Amino acid sequence: MREKVVRLDVREDIRRGREPFSKIMQAVAQLGEDESLLLTAPFEPKPLFAVLAQRGFLHNSKPLDSGDWEVLFSRTPPTGTPAESSEADSSRVNVIEVDARGLEPPQPMVKILEASADLPKGTELLARTDRRPMHLYPQLEQRGFSASSEEQTDGTFVTRIRRC
Amino acid sequence: MLTNPLKPARTAPATANAPDMSLPLRFILTGLLALFAAVGWLVARPDILATYHYNQYVIAVTHLVVLGWICTVVMGAMYQLVPVALETRLHSERMARWQFMLHVVGFAGMVWMFWIWNMKQVGHFGSVFAFGVALFVYNLVRTLLSVPRWTIVATAVTTALGWFSLTILVGLSIATAKCTYESATELSPTSLLGAMIHGLRSVAGYMARFDQIGAMHAHAHLGGVGFFVMMIVGVSYKLIPMFTLSELQSKRRAACSVALLNLGLAGSFLTILLRSPWKLAFTLVMVAGLAAYGWELRAILRARKRRSLDWGIKYFLTAVALLAPFSILAVVLSWPGLRLTTFTGQLENLYGFLGLVGVISFAILGMLYKILPFLVWFGSYGKEIGRSKVPALAEMYSEKWQVAGYWLFLAGLMTTSVATMYSNTPLVRVGCALLALSLGTFTVNVAKILNHRLRPRITPLKFKAPTLSTLAHEPKVESRVSGLVSAS
Repeated sequence: MREKVVRLDVREDIRRGREPFSKIMQAVAQLGEDESLLLTAPFEPKPLFAVLAQRGFLHNSKPLDSGDWEVLFSRTPPTGTPAESSEADSSRVNVIEVDARGLEPPQPMVKILEASADLPKGTELLARTDRRPMHLYPQLEQRGFSASSEEQTDGTFVTRIRRC
Repeated sequence: MLTNPLKPARTAPATANAPDMSLPLRFILTGLLALFAAVGWLVARPDILATYHYNQYVIAVTHLVVLGWICTVVMGAMYQLVPVALETRLHSERMARWQFMLHVVGFAGMVWMFWIWNMKQVGHFGSVFAFGVALFVYNLVRTLLSVPRWTIVATAVTTALGWFSLTILVGLSIATAKCTYESATELSPTSLLGAMIHGLRSVAGYMARFDQIGAMHAHAHLGGVGFFVMMIVGVSYKLIPMFTLSELQSKRRAACSVALLNLGLAGSFLTILLRSPWKLAFTLVMVAGLAAYGWELRAILRARKRRSLDWGIKYFLTAVALLAPFSILAVVLSWPGLRLTTFTGQLENLYGFLGLVGVISFAILGMLYKILPFLVWFGSYGKEIGRSKVPALAEMYSEKWQVAGYWLFLAGLMTTSVATMYSNTPLVRVGCALLALSLGTFTVNVAKILNHRLRPRITPLKFKAPTLSTLAHEPKVESRVSGLVSAS
């Protein structure tokens, strides 16, 4: 099944010296649940990746022959298999997902902390757990991470972890 | 839907989620010392269980068990578990530290004064204890007020705190009724001390309306079932799904069990106090509540994803199964017009022993096998998780000792029960000695666990996540990991 893709070209804005950020965020805010955003820009908009990752978007960028870049922002699937395979292409993907569901405590915490140990700056760790990871927060804080958890409709939790 | 995006790392120090590990540890270790003392006491004085329970020695040992062992451990565990289970933070850790001191002075003094039967001093130490309980209840109520979403666990904990407070009030009133107030005639009721003495004398006068044994039994029920059993029921609705990888199967059934227990308890309290023949009706309501609990627990276990149950859970579930003979005994003892004979008197002893040692203590020992290793592990290795290879929880103690402890406990329980029923003093000693041996095995394991606090065992991480230590409990994943190791 293909998702609907909304296109946004900010090359002209940047050429004219206009700040495209608010335009992009507006487009993101208007995206439907099953829609993705295809952004065309004159460079790879790296700072945007982290901002949109926090809003639950994965990104996939590729250079065009013209020297411009196309980036596809798509929503993180709400449930699914561990996306640890996404680690394989770390040069492109800035969200690492760890599925720590279905484990007996304290294994979810161990798994997430191990994944966070070599998390590059600017990369977000997205951890899925069965419960709100209460014991994880102080450990993450001590290690210089910020974290926020959100309950999903199925009662599980998604915690987004980033280096401060 | 309440999503509550709690952001501890940004809004407040996240370390406040659960108190520092040393706080619950302090309570738990003190509780264990009291349990050793109580069982040792029974080995030395087996006649305590083999004779009718309305005497100072039984009351002293019972309070050592319920206040020194059960209350202390339950309080320590609640300071740790309630904030975590209900996704909030403890209102005040400092208040909990103060409560610990009041608690220890209070219960130790009470047990001593019961033993020498100085009721005036029981009242004084009881007041110190009650002041600690007030801090405990206040601290937890404030914690409960910040719970982001209310669950059946929160309801059970809240009602348990209510019954506990009432237990303390009734207990202090009973002690008040056993004192004399000669000085009341000399003191003016308008002075501070005079007002207090006159007030206590009025309480004593009010309590005189009730049958003394009825009041004592009502007090014991409120504490045993209202606080301890209610707490076990409530907390296990969170912990059993967590440790067996399952989920609560029916919220309605769980709510029903807590509601029936509460209704039955309120009715039992009054009917026991007033020695009413309606006692049986409310006993049956409580038994129905326990049946709903057992049913839900069975459903949770049937839906579990982790097939093998570890021994900590087996301790706990055996204790829950013992609720069945306990309930039968409850029905027999609440039968209208049951005559008090030597045998039925001993059945009352058995009822108390089975409830406090068979159900509650056994359940707590099982839970401690989950809580204690975690507390020490988290305290000793928290900073190293993910950076070095740290031991798995199950590696921190010996399963062999744990299994031996399980069978020794069951053997001790059965022997002491039969011996108590037939007033057989030498056999009570044998049974309690078996219980002491079981506690010995527990001590060996506690020592092994605590050794990780003194000498943490950390080895450098050889390969990236996941490690064997992470997944030691998961046979399926373990094979995946061993495949990973051999591949690397």
